[in-house]
Amino acid sequence: MLGEFEYLLISAASGLGDQAYSGAIQREIVAITGRRCSIGALYTTIDRLEGKGLVKTWMGDATAQRGGRAKRMVRVTPKGVQAARSFYDAVTGISRGARWAGKDAGGAS
Amino acid sequence: MRDGGRRAVEFAAQLLDRCESEAVLGDLEEGGEGWWRDLLDISGLIVRRQALLWKSWRPWLASCGLALPASFLLMGFSLGVTRSFQHTGGMPLLAVRILLLGAWAWTGGYVVAAMSKRTLWMSVASCCFPCLFCLARFRVPSLPSPCLLLFLPPAMWGVWQGSRLSGVKMRTAMLLAAAVTLLTLLLMGEGLPAVNWVLIWPAWYLAATGETSTL
Repeated sequence: MLGEFEYLLISAASGLGDQAYSGAIQREIVAITGRRCSIGALYTTIDRLEGKGLVKTWMGDATAQRGGRAKRMVRVTPKGVQAARSFYDAVTGISRGARWAGKDAGGAS
Repeated sequence: MRDGGRRAVEFAAQLLDRCESEAVLGDLEEGGEGWWRDLLDISGLIVRRQALLWKSWRPWLASCGLALPASFLLMGFSLGVTRSFQHTGGMPLLAVRILLLGAWAWTGGYVVAAMSKRTLWMSVASCCFPCLFCLARFRVPSLPSPCLLLFLPPAMWGVWQGSRLSGVKMRTAMLLAAAVTLLTLLLMGEGLPAVNWVLIWPAWYLAATGETSTL
């Protein structure tokens, strides 16, 4: 099963589609979670996911915005989609009875 | 200060693979955070990368199993070579000692570099530590302290070659290992401490991992 950060990374890459690269994924994770995402955590997690065959990476084009440097593009593989779906199903399934998952999710107790 | 900081970030990025360094520097450029934050980020990645490398047995063997103990032994043998140069007249024996010192040091350096290129800095530190330790405590009036480091030139040559070449041909490596073993055996009869036998394993490691001809 995926870890929490692995799931965030795969989901962000999937949402970004053809525009998914390390920098964009990092910004997406920060924007959604509000948490800082270090380059170290991002790159080592991408490597780990690639090692498991859940994502595929390659060097993309360079842009002037990046000081003429190439991007590390990321694409989620079918195996990655399957792993993310299992994680999502597990989290939504286990959360069904939780107080915060109901309609009155804003409640204190 | 800003330019200096940016240069420090780019320098740190050189410790990563070329492609990765390119992508990371681009991401940091896009992120537009300060150089200090970028430097912390890139250092974090380098530390993580190094930590992953140390999960393998190879860097441990290269630095703690070879560079560190071999440096002590080679310093002792360097001293022996200098002494035999000063006191004994036997040229053939001196030649054998010099040859063996060169072979031990070169094969050791080569294997250290070939075994774990990306943790070479630690192996170099593991060699420097005993050298500095012994140099600081060297008190033999009749001998100059640099004689302890006679093994360094062939060892550095070995490191340089080991970090650049893909491997040694099997036949050459076998001949080298046999020659090193023979010379060691020869000097054992002349009172060489038995502990020096450990210095022949890099030569046999080269023989075992030598490139076979694909003709």
